[in-house]
Amino acid sequence: MLSSPIASQWFLGRADLDTLVQALRADGRRVIGPTVADGAIVYDEIGSAAELPSGWTDTQAPGRYRAAETGGDRVFDHTAGPTSWKRFTFPPVLELTVSHGEDFGFEQPAREIPPMAFLGVRACELAALGLQDRVFLGGQFTDEDYRGRRNAALVVAVQCSRANATCFCTSMGTGPEVRAGYDLLLTELAEGFVVEAGSPAGTAILQRLPARRATHAEMGAAVDSVEACRASMGEPLPMAGIHERLLAQLDNPRWAEVAERCLDCGNCTLSCPTCFCTATVERSDLDGRTSTSERLWDSCFDAGFARVAGGDFRSRSRDRYRQWLTHKFGTWMDQFSSLGCVGCGRCVTWCPVGIDVREELMAIAPPLAPTVEPEPVRPAAASPGAYSVARVSAVRLETSDTATLSLTDLDPAFLAGRPGQFAMVALPAFPAVPISISRYRPNGIDLTIRAAGPTTTALVNLKRGAKVGVRGPLGTWWPIEQAYGRHAVVVAGGVGLPPLRGLVDQLLAERERFSSVALFYGARTPADQVFADELKALAARDDIQVALTVDRAGPDWKGRVGVVTQLFDQVNCDCGRMTAFVCGPERMMQATVQTLIGRGVAPERIFVSLERHMECGIGLCGHCQMGRFFVCKDGPVFRLTQLGDTFNREGI
Amino acid sequence: MAASATHTRPRVAVAKFASCDGCQLTLLDLEDALLDIAERFEVADFPEATSRRSPGPYDVVFVEGAISTAEQADQIQELRRQARFLVTIGACATAGGIQALRNWADHDAVRAAVYQHPEYVESLAKATPVGEHVHVDAELRGCPIDPGQLLELLTAVLIGRRPQIRDEAVCRECKRKGLVCVEVAQGMACLGPVTQSGCGALCPTYGRGCYGCFGPRNPSNARGWSRALLAQGRAPEEVWRLFAGFTAYAEPFRGVLTELGAARERADREAVPPAGEQPLSTARG
Repeated sequence: MLSSPIASQWFLGRADLDTLVQALRADGRRVIGPTVADGAIVYDEIGSAAELPSGWTDTQAPGRYRAAETGGDRVFDHTAGPTSWKRFTFPPVLELTVSHGEDFGFEQPAREIPPMAFLGVRACELAALGLQDRVFLGGQFTDEDYRGRRNAALVVAVQCSRANATCFCTSMGTGPEVRAGYDLLLTELAEGFVVEAGSPAGTAILQRLPARRATHAEMGAAVDSVEACRASMGEPLPMAGIHERLLAQLDNPRWAEVAERCLDCGNCTLSCPTCFCTATVERSDLDGRTSTSERLWDSCFDAGFARVAGGDFRSRSRDRYRQWLTHKFGTWMDQFSSLGCVGCGRCVTWCPVGIDVREELMAIAPPLAPTVEPEPVRPAAASPGAYSVARVSAVRLETSDTATLSLTDLDPAFLAGRPGQFAMVALPAFPAVPISISRYRPNGIDLTIRAAGPTTTALVNLKRGAKVGVRGPLGTWWPIEQAYGRHAVVVAGGVGLPPLRGLVDQLLAERERFSSVALFYGARTPADQVFADELKALAARDDIQVALTVDRAGPDWKGRVGVVTQLFDQVNCDCGRMTAFVCGPERMMQATVQTLIGRGVAPERIFVSLERHMECGIGLCGHCQMGRFFVCKDGPVFRLTQLGDTFNREGI
Repeated sequence: MAASATHTRPRVAVAKFASCDGCQLTLLDLEDALLDIAERFEVADFPEATSRRSPGPYDVVFVEGAISTAEQADQIQELRRQARFLVTIGACATAGGIQALRNWADHDAVRAAVYQHPEYVESLAKATPVGEHVHVDAELRGCPIDPGQLLELLTAVLIGRRPQIRDEAVCRECKRKGLVCVEVAQGMACLGPVTQSGCGALCPTYGRGCYGCFGPRNPSNARGWSRALLAQGRAPEEVWRLFAGFTAYAEPFRGVLTELGAARERADREAVPPAGEQPLSTARG
């Protein structure tokens, strides 16, 4: 017997498992746990531990389930089976109202909800209960029947020691490890169970069991068993940004292709531990004097699910599959602040045609970027004096005072650079200057430089073959993945275009990942436009919208005149789904940002590139300090919301 | 539907064509409700139950059976004229029934195989559902129909609301009842995913695959299911026999069978007993 509150792990021999079942029953609880029936391990009421599936396991694959005897004595060697716990918290059929025609009234039947204990709840299943808690109890309107059943249930969780091919809790972040939300937690070892209490109710039960303190070896074995399960599951799916990835794919042809296979049978939704849709049917006596409204588990795969008198909003199978998948992995987030899937794999196993939700998700909304964020690009030359020497392979005049130098023979670190980064550029006897990289080529980079001071004047006057000192690439880059599945809008002013040119290259290279791509560019006069020929070529393409304006027009200019923000009247996309990348003079950026926000673009989806005085480029000289940032190493590219009130404020 | 008038009881008739009478019997099997029904409806014409017959028009006509002869094809037209609501009951009336399997075979050969004197049998080449001849207001599916659904339809007529008959897969009833899927867990061929519910998942409750007596639900991706069954490694003959049951002639089951026609010819050559007679024998995967 235990005398102190439980703050540690205990050990219960396998032969003593029934003491747990009997302790729960002695408290008047209906004990519901895994048991073998109809060729499967189902959850049902049990009277003793002898009814648990000792020596049974299951194998699951898309559209296939088999239970089998192992010859061993492990009790919880199975994974999530055909039953989900929602059957006991959210019954498949529930009497809602009894109405009377003669004296015209509606009654809600009073219900006694007897105390229950759920024995054998897995991590994914606990997460599923948590999701239904949000649905039924987390909003303005609540389901009191659910509350009653949920409160009536004591939860004895079990760690998974193995996974099936259909399990993907690691992808959904729900398992395999049970971390919270239980009263008692069991981890099955060769001889018995490591037991932990997670609540006062659990502690009270544990104190009544013939358990002893677990040894260090047992506690270690418990951790190892969950970790072995996790390791057996392989790499998690790339789920980052799945919400937006999926909602950007409403027109994907795959929806129609899935519909060829999907039977609309709804087995996925009724097996799912989080699906919560219901229908209400009337059960009336012959002349309708007394009628009972029954709530039934329904499914969005039902042909009539979205039907009104005038027609059916989702009349096609493809519409219904899209509704289900985009709800589970997309709009559920908007409604309940989490995805609607816990990765239990039931929808995969119990689909008669074996449609694998993981495969469909990844085919319809492919991963955006490598799942592991690559290491930031570190310049090979890390100290302020360590310049490598590059050669000018081409010089191209952009305007009367601006030229693009193409450099080769570079430090290889540049080849791993990203659009938005910059280089410190030096000539002997001249102070080094920060110059943004305006293009990455297979064997070099472009620097586009305006002759604004002595060094930059010397640079634009270099000839082909000249040598130049470079250090980089430095600073942050445009986070292109923030525009995946969205409208990517690039806004440039004057020589703010060069830092964005590499981004435009990349947007077009990955064009299918964006709903649309647009470039808005304003220059002082037509003659001040950099990359004028390239802009013409871009404007002729149909996969990018290009809009240009100038402050002052010359005689040959037939385009727009005015500031760049006036071009936004040409924006014809949903600003709520826009990601903007902005670079130009600071006042131009401030005006742009205000206009974008005014049009409904989310501030956290606006990125700006700032310019400051830089001597070192690596956060050591102090010149570029702006509030809490060093623009050279924390920037130059910032998310607008990072900047707070330092942006748009004079004198910072 | 008909308003429940207190003075005049709705007049009901029950008629039958090519069928076994089992669905009509379901009405008589509503034992607990029979007195209430008799009180609220005027059972005007029901030869199976009473020899006292009364001519139309009727408020509700329940029609059992497929149209299998030229005479029946005429009678159903007259019955429609007499009926305010015409309700087909059972697999024969709603889908053509088991006799519609002859629709894939040579009519004369079938007649010669079944009857010693086929010259006395004046059947049409095809047995067809009532809905191919006249407009049908409502149908009750099944072989036989479900007593609960029949009572619900009568109730709906009296109250004046739509019958609460759900257009959903048999799988829904299995899942609500907590039955383990016999297809996924035991490999039995089952038509549940493409078949309309209403039977209470009767066959899966007893550990057997559904053989589709309630007919295809709407929409029913029967083609997708037959393709998946073939992809599981089942022989085309087996899939053909699964669909070739009581509701074989109802689309889209009919289309699946036509697609699998070649397999069916093979099955015939190998002298397999006629499809539909033992649809469940194939259900043991």
